Amino acid sequence: MRGTAQLPKRETEQLLSRRTFVRTASLASALAASGVSSAIWATPALAAPGFVPADLDLHLLRRATYGATKASLDEIRSLGRTAWLDKQLRPSRINDSYSTNLISDRYPNLSRSMADIWAEQTFDWITMFELGQAAIARATWSKRQLFEVMVDFWSNHLNVTNPFDGGWHCRHDYDKKVIRKHALGRFVDMLVASATHPAMMLYLNNAESTKDNPNENYGREILELHSVGVDAGYDENDMRQSTLVLTGFGFDWNTGLFSYYGSNHHVGPVQVMGWSHTNGSANGGYDVGLSYVRYLARHPATAHRIAYKLCQRFVSDVPPAGLVNSLANTYLANDTAIVPVLRKLFGSTAFKNSLGDKVRRPTEDVVATLRILGIKPDAGTGTDGIQGLYWMLEGLGNLPMSWGPPDGYPDVASAWAAAGGLLGRWNTHISLAAHWWPDELRQPPLENLLPSPLPPTHGPLINALAKKLVFRKLSTAHRDAVLGFLGETASSPLDANDAAVTWRLPYVVALILDSPYHEIR
Amino acid sequence: MRTEPPALARRVEPAVLAKPCGCPDYERGITRRSFITRALAGGIVAGIAAEGMFTRLAFAAGPYTGDVFVVLSLRGGFDGLQAIVPANGQNHLDYLNLRPTVGIPAASLLPLDATFGMHPAMATLKPFYDAGTFGAVQAVGQDQPDRSHFSAMEQMERAAPGTSIRTGWIDRVLGLRDPGTAFQGVQMGSNLAGPGFLGPSPELAMWSVDSFDLNGASDDTQLALWTTALTGLHTGAPATLAAPATTALGALATAAQLRAAGYTPENGAAYPDTGLGNAMKDVARLIKADIGLQVAAVDYGDWDMHSGMGTVAGGWMYDHLTELSGTLAAFATDLGATRLNDVTLVTLTEFGRRGPENGSGGTDHGFGQAVLLLGGGVKGGQVHMNGGWPGLADADLVDGDLNGTTDYRWVLAEILEKRCRLGAATDVFPGIDPTRINCVNVKP
Repeated sequence: MRGTAQLPKRETEQLLSRRTFVRTASLASALAASGVSSAIWATPALAAPGFVPADLDLHLLRRATYGATKASLDEIRSLGRTAWLDKQLRPSRINDSYSTNLISDRYPNLSRSMADIWAEQTFDWITMFELGQAAIARATWSKRQLFEVMVDFWSNHLNVTNPFDGGWHCRHDYDKKVIRKHALGRFVDMLVASATHPAMMLYLNNAESTKDNPNENYGREILELHSVGVDAGYDENDMRQSTLVLTGFGFDWNTGLFSYYGSNHHVGPVQVMGWSHTNGSANGGYDVGLSYVRYLARHPATAHRIAYKLCQRFVSDVPPAGLVNSLANTYLANDTAIVPVLRKLFGSTAFKNSLGDKVRRPTEDVVATLRILGIKPDAGTGTDGIQGLYWMLEGLGNLPMSWGPPDGYPDVASAWAAAGGLLGRWNTHISLAAHWWPDELRQPPLENLLPSPLPPTHGPLINALAKKLVFRKLSTAHRDAVLGFLGETASSPLDANDAAVTWRLPYVVALILDSPYHEIR
Repeated sequence: MRTEPPALARRVEPAVLAKPCGCPDYERGITRRSFITRALAGGIVAGIAAEGMFTRLAFAAGPYTGDVFVVLSLRGGFDGLQAIVPANGQNHLDYLNLRPTVGIPAASLLPLDATFGMHPAMATLKPFYDAGTFGAVQAVGQDQPDRSHFSAMEQMERAAPGTSIRTGWIDRVLGLRDPGTAFQGVQMGSNLAGPGFLGPSPELAMWSVDSFDLNGASDDTQLALWTTALTGLHTGAPATLAAPATTALGALATAAQLRAAGYTPENGAAYPDTGLGNAMKDVARLIKADIGLQVAAVDYGDWDMHSGMGTVAGGWMYDHLTELSGTLAAFATDLGATRLNDVTLVTLTEFGRRGPENGSGGTDHGFGQAVLLLGGGVKGGQVHMNGGWPGLADADLVDGDLNGTTDYRWVLAEILEKRCRLGAATDVFPGIDPTRINCVNVKP
């Protein structure tokens, strides 16, 4: 059945035994939503503008980064939004040596080649675990924040679950050569890179799809998820043709790399939607396949879908149709280049008007918490603390790149609005603020958040803390809720020995982070 | 209060990759559970005496007198033709013709009736089949084939084709009565609720009863302080943010009582130590606590077996059916006959698989599926169908797949009508056809 695979039987069986997508995260599939695309979670606009300050600098930071910090706010205030955005859209010009060194010092396997790792035949998952931890570290500590946000966006759009059992030698390379390389480039290049990467071939079973025994997994998802979308008007026949076009795109079991196998390729006329090809030879099938993939990337339905998803990421759970159409046109006019689309998006009136319309997902919540508390990685080149974050995010059901099904994590509030999930976030806030776990991370004293000198009463203290943590005063009622927890009132006197500024300070910080003020993206 | 991270599994032996239960996800499952267990160790258990639990918990059983409806979603596309298998004559030959390598040979099947046999990995359910508390429906479908995981799931859980209704069917079920307890609708085994719950009726999603704990609150007094403060901080927030907070805060005290009471399955029930087994054990725990549970949802994923599903003697499908069956058998055993009379469990999946196997020893996305039924009120010991077996000969197939001749909503509606005392199911399933397949008894 895999005529071109020359691997000894034993290894072949091992790899065949790997479980396809939902398998890679049987608990991610227990995440109710497992396999559920954002479309299911149709939801009214959130509209919680009262919880975020009417400050467009902060608004941009909330959306385009993993959470505002004092430093990032100072920077955008100084540069202005346009220049700040320009800088973020040219990430290579941002000195990010801290983050770069952090990764290279602590996660050495990420720089290894697929071929080298494959040659060892260890089936060791270390590189995939390093990748998952690196994703958290980059989101938290990289200065190229918008780039990292886009890496997350594309990692979900072209999801290859990390870890999955076919990815032990190649998933990190997929991150590097497909996602990170093209995250601010052209989508057509990214889609071609994904279609010719061993991780995708293994993840969606195209490695096993041949002219005589087609496997429809990839042929379907490249249409439904990666490009035009399920409502684009293709039918089952298109889907089967899509599968046949891509037969031959496969995996070399000797080298661990992508390879094209003409002997597996279906020869003869093929047609998918508005694309057709005579497809006259086995050897020509690779170019035919690439032509098809490029057609999909440049299809107006793909333009619309990418525009819609970008709007859902950056503007609103229910993107305004006018902006989506406008961005789709920009995408097509720029031959699938992403930067012009992002410029237009962030410059739009709809973006400015979307204050309070998005909610942080659990990972965004945790990373924003790490950033606002100024938490740093383990001392030296340690990784235990970052590893702790890895398990923390897995427990919250939102570990980066770890969504089991191929559609990526949903990004609408209703998908994440659940009692258990919220409780998990609250527990995370106190765990981080009180430095319970992961305690290997280095954390500045919470006392640094206190105003100096201390105000004479408790009311101003809560507002001073809120300004540091969520960049605004709380409403009177919300301030009083925190004061009630302390058994204080706004006017009760404050001195340096009071519980609010000593042993109960972590609780006060956690409570403010538990509020909707911190939940809004 | 500090919690330890679990050791990171640094290496998965290749030999282990191929073994049942040694698969990496299983390792991940363990890891996640260890995380939660360890996270729990950081919490302080509220000290309510176990013996007081049941009287304390009987406060809000509410007016609901129907069965607890347990919905087990087999995500990824459960291949019902490998579980409830056409076993006789031409039906079996047609089946093997489509599935020459992965098909289950008749001699290996557990006999069910004149037409079907059951995969031998489901042997733990055979006694319940024989006792009439376990059964199946074959050739179930949606109103039309949809071979996309994502849109098929959406259609299935919205369960209102051709309408603009955007809520989930479970939400509409819960909305038919006055609001019950915080535990009226529970998604167990996940801290996110599935799309069937989407809508205005509150539901509670939790990894487990034992993990449902506010770590900052060290005793009842502290819990009350936290609850008041968090309630105040969510006042005025949009419903999407406020509702989960209200639900979580409303359930914490009861969860603390349950946790303090602990839980030991009864009647020698042995749940598999897996995500599914633990979730179903907690569903039984909630049922027995009588805290107003009406609908419980559990997910069991990883049925998308495009490749390498294995053989009748072992492999992915075998392992999955073993875990599924062992869990359902333990659940029924744990509840005992009396409790089981007040519980109806149904499995659902977004689609069945293609009739023919593919070239990878698996099956691609198809149409007709099998539904499994468990409970004291189900008409077990039978494989139900609407008008007989549609067949697997070429002419019988729908675009290559088993036909779906029973709309899955007919099964759900019948359970709601006969077991949950709902009245007319059209309130939940607008425009539903009146056909029913008589697969459960009227609740006495």
